[in-house]
Amino acid sequence: MHVGGEVDVRSAYCAASVASLTNILTPALFSGTAEWIARCQNWEGGIGGVPGMEAHGGYTFCGMAALVILQQEHLLNLRSLLHWVTGRQMRFEGGFQGRCNKLVDGCYSFWQAGLLPLLHRALHARGDTALSMAHWMFDQLALQEYILLCCQCPAGGLLDKPGKSRDFYHTCYCLSGLAIAQHFGSGDLHNEVVLGIPENCLQPTHPVYNIAPEKVARAVMHFLQYPVPNLDPA
Amino acid sequence: DEIGLIPCPEARYNRSPIVLVENKLGVESWCVKFLLPYVHNKLLLYRQRKQWLNKDELIDITCTLLLLNPDFTTAWNVRKELILSGTLNPLKDLHLGKLALTKFPKSPETWIHRRWVLQQLIQENSLPSLATKGNLGAAPVERIHRLVQEEMNVCSEAAGRYPSNYNAWSHRIWVLQHLAKLTVKVLLDELSSTKYWVSMHVSDHSGFHYRQFLLNSLIGRTVTDSNILVNEQNPNLQKEEESAGTEAACAEEQSVDLPRLLEEEMELCTELIDNYPGHETLWCHSDETLNNSHHSPATSHMAQSMDVDGLNEFSSKQGYTQETKRLKRAPMQDSLGPEMEYQFIDKVLSTCRDVDQARFATAYRKWLVTFLGQ
Repeated sequence: MHVGGEVDVRSAYCAASVASLTNILTPALFSGTAEWIARCQNWEGGIGGVPGMEAHGGYTFCGMAALVILQQEHLLNLRSLLHWVTGRQMRFEGGFQGRCNKLVDGCYSFWQAGLLPLLHRALHARGDTALSMAHWMFDQLALQEYILLCCQCPAGGLLDKPGKSRDFYHTCYCLSGLAIAQHFGSGDLHNEVVLGIPENCLQPTHPVYNIAPEKVARAVMHFLQYPVPNLDPA
Repeated sequence: DEIGLIPCPEARYNRSPIVLVENKLGVESWCVKFLLPYVHNKLLLYRQRKQWLNKDELIDITCTLLLLNPDFTTAWNVRKELILSGTLNPLKDLHLGKLALTKFPKSPETWIHRRWVLQQLIQENSLPSLATKGNLGAAPVERIHRLVQEEMNVCSEAAGRYPSNYNAWSHRIWVLQHLAKLTVKVLLDELSSTKYWVSMHVSDHSGFHYRQFLLNSLIGRTVTDSNILVNEQNPNLQKEEESAGTEAACAEEQSVDLPRLLEEEMELCTELIDNYPGHETLWCHSDETLNNSHHSPATSHMAQSMDVDGLNEFSSKQGYTQETKRLKRAPMQDSLGPEMEYQFIDKVLSTCRDVDQARFATAYRKWLVTFLGQ
């Protein structure tokens, strides 16, 4: 994560995210990274912080998104990942838990639910004919219910679950999850599923970078103007 | 040996907020809002080179800070510098961390710093001529063993203080991987010593995941793990198992009765599921243990990919074929008959009154049918 700091799958995602947006991504920079991330997937189907660790929503998102950026999603067992993440949506609350047998938490609205657009895309690229053309593979309305009914602080901001206090982290990821749940696909295939009044509808978010899709496009365009920096000391 | 905050919003008496009872340190909460900013500020001024602090002061200040807020990375980093310069005994940080974890059992920075300290100690240990810091008098192997045992204790305590303590269990795995080198002996010891703990914490997914890790490591130990990600076919699996077995037998004194271990694990699962209905973790653990027992020991999680449909397409992309999978099925199966599992499920469904339990049992049966193809 930083010089002398801990090593886990989050840093791979941060690096891939930054490098791809700023056009400094080279094969050498990420040599071996995709294979290492794949080793973080465990018997549960989800991904842990480092190889051998328990599957965890936050790490799973980071791992999957990093592999999407590196175009190596096929290194994962996508089916068991799909099985694991869909099992994390709570049948009573509608929100997601971070790991098996734990409590629901608003922030996993993004970390977990955000995996489904990525999986959808990866499976579609493989030619899977069973994929829906209108919905993600989770209960989008139930998630929206949880976020809107349980995760809002009356004074503004969002939170983990009723009884917890608000913070920026939960505000960010509850809203990001809400955006994911409201918008399927893009362009011709865009399908909005909005719970409640139309004003509840948020702007869509990019499922890999979690910023507005237009911003991603602009960043990429901007940095493509510059050559990839040379790592050799000239 | 333990620290805690005493809820005490106002200083009623003119006396010290520190309370020490039976080796346990308590701090009255009213003083924190004065103490923490004071020491925090002092350290920051030192870091900004605006105010000098000598080594003893640094040790004191960082110690106080970290007991109030162990996620303050800068304070741990100051102590790293002190350790590297030889002024601070790394064992002190292990003790400080242990104390901090009694109040903050998850603290990521504490665990991370702990691993850094242990790495320092490993390096020290591997040096032939040791000018020891005066504490570890025993032989290197004995030293490492003691460290490992201590870490297992610290992890166990922290795991008991917070449910599904990801950081504590991750650390435990790390210690086994990097300090104990995953020897058969330590894996078996850990299996037996955590058995009681998981029985007392049946919803602790991390605890059961740890047992899966132990079992998987033992499976990996029994056969060489070089043939997991297969590029070449492996027609002579029998021969390889033998030579790997000999190798393992030479290295370790204990032989591993894997089928027996997996059977015991299934028995444990069954017993707990019966006694404590409705815990998803137990069913998950059961799934995976059965999975392990029905496939070749040479199989990793990759080869365990349960793609029943569209198998060929996926497998060829993952670098192995149906052919290889078939060959990898060593004669280790059928020690745990699925019929027993079906009987168990039927029994659970007919006797349970817990809705979740019924749901898990039904899902388990469905899984058995689909994934085991039986």
